[in-house]
Amino acid sequence: MAELTSLGFRSGTSLLHRLDVRFKLLFLVLISLSSLAGDFLTLGIFSCLLTALVVHSRLPLKSGLTGLRFFLFLLLLVLVARMVTTPGDPVLEIGSYAVTRQGILSGTLICWRLTIIVLLGFAFVFTTRSSEIKAAVEWVFKPLAFIPGKRIATMMSLTTRFVPVILNQAGETAEAQRARCIENRKNPVFRLIRLGIPLIRRTFERADKLAVAMEARCYTENRTDPELSATRTDWITLVIMILICSLALSI
Amino acid sequence: MSIIEIENLSHRFQDGTLGLDGINLQIQEGAFVVIAGPNGSGKTTLIRHLNGLLLPTVGSVKLAGVPVKNDLLRARCLVGMMFQDADSQIVGETVYDDVAFGPENLRLNRDQIGERVARALESVGLRDLAGHSPHLLSGGEKRRLAIAGILAMEPKILAFDEPFASLDYPGVKQVLKQILALHQCGHTILVITHDLEKILAHADRLIIMQQGQIVLDGAPAEIVGAVETYGVKAPCASLLGMEVQSWLN
Repeated sequence: MAELTSLGFRSGTSLLHRLDVRFKLLFLVLISLSSLAGDFLTLGIFSCLLTALVVHSRLPLKSGLTGLRFFLFLLLLVLVARMVTTPGDPVLEIGSYAVTRQGILSGTLICWRLTIIVLLGFAFVFTTRSSEIKAAVEWVFKPLAFIPGKRIATMMSLTTRFVPVILNQAGETAEAQRARCIENRKNPVFRLIRLGIPLIRRTFERADKLAVAMEARCYTENRTDPELSATRTDWITLVIMILICSLALSI
Repeated sequence: MSIIEIENLSHRFQDGTLGLDGINLQIQEGAFVVIAGPNGSGKTTLIRHLNGLLLPTVGSVKLAGVPVKNDLLRARCLVGMMFQDADSQIVGETVYDDVAFGPENLRLNRDQIGERVARALESVGLRDLAGHSPHLLSGGEKRRLAIAGILAMEPKILAFDEPFASLDYPGVKQVLKQILALHQCGHTILVITHDLEKILAHADRLIIMQQGQIVLDGAPAEIVGAVETYGVKAPCASLLGMEVQSWLN
C-alpha cells in the first residue's frame, strides 16, 4: 500500500507544496511545452531543475518509479522502436535490423522528454491535494458557462484520489489469484479476464459504498473550496520559470 | 424525550425483498442502544433510515419531532453514521482533509471548518496525525478518523455499524473508549453488531432483530439470556450466569 500511495498527495512544507495550484498547473504546461520544443541542452537544464525539485520536496522517487514501472517499460519499447526504425548511420546490425546513430539520439530525446513530463506530473500530484486540483479546474472552467466545471472537477478529484486505492485493490486481487496458482495458466487473456472482472466488480462496489458515505456527510457540489490566493512567491517563481524556459530554448 | 421516533416502518427493496417489516421504536436522548441480529436481519437498513439514506416504503421516521424525509440535510447533521468499512468512508488525502469534508459540504467558512476539525481531531486523539495520509493509519486509527469525520458535523446521534469488525484487541479498546467518551458527552449512541461480547456491558438497552422485525427489546441483563434463540451469540459471562464485563477492565 505504501508503494501505491506514493502516487498520491503527501503533505509537506516545500516550495512546491506552498505554491498556488494554478501556478503549478501553469508551470507544468510551460515546462512540458518547452521540453517538447527543446533539444538535449534544454532537457539537461530541465533535468537539473527537476532534480532540485525532487530533492527539495523530498519526493519518494524510488517508490514513485516503482509505481511507474509499466510506464518505464513503455519508454523502453519506444526507445527500441526508434533505434531500429529510424534511417541513418548503422551502429549495430542484428539480422535484418540495424540500430542507427540517429535512431539512438531520436529515441533518447523522446524518452527523456516523456520522462521529464511524467516526473513533473508526479511532482505535481505528490505536492497538490485533489481538492486543490478540483478548485483549480473549477477556476479554469468558470468563464465557460456551458461546461459543468464543478462536476468535471469533482470527477477529476475523486479519480485522482482513488487511483492508488484501485491499484491496491488490483494488487490484492492479483495476490489472491497467485495464491491459487494462476501463474500455471499461461494464457495472458485468461489471466487478464480473471483479474479484470473481480477488480471491476469490487471497484464499483467500493464506489457505491463511497457514494453512500459521501451522501451521509451531506455531499454537495456547492461546497467550501480551498481558497486560491496568489502570493508574492508564486509571481516570483513564475518570472523565474519564464526566464529558465526562455534561456533553455534560446541556447 | 424521544429523539428518535419510528412508527410502523417498513422498507421493501427494488428487487421486492422486504428489508424492514413494521418497526416501531422510540429512543430517548442520551441512550446507549445496541442493535444486534444475524446477517440480513435489517440492522443496517434500519439505521440508514435515520439519516435518509433510505426512505420508508411505509411508516415514518422522526428525529426530534421532525420527519426525516422533510429535511434530509437536518437529518444528516443530526445523525452521524460510521460505516462498517472505514476505508470506503475516507475521502480526504490527509487526516485533516477527511475531517474537513463534512463541514465543507455544509459551506462553513474556513475559520469555522478549522475550529471544527481541530475539536474533532482532539477528541479522538489524532491531532498529531493531521497531515498524515489516512491510508497509512492502523485499523483502530482509521475508525477513530471516521468518528472524527462524523463529529465535525456536530451530530447529536451517533450510529456505528459494526465498529469492531476486523480490529485487533488494542483497536477494539481504542474504538470502545471513544464510543464511551462520546456517550459521556451526551451523544445518543446506537451500535449495530452481531458481537455482543465487546459492547454489551456499556449498553442500557438491547434490541434484537430478525427478518426485518424487532423480536426482543429491553434492558441487556433481562433479555441477554434469550438472544441465542435469534441467532446472536450471547456473551460468555452471561452463559455462565455472571455479569458481562467491560473489555476495558
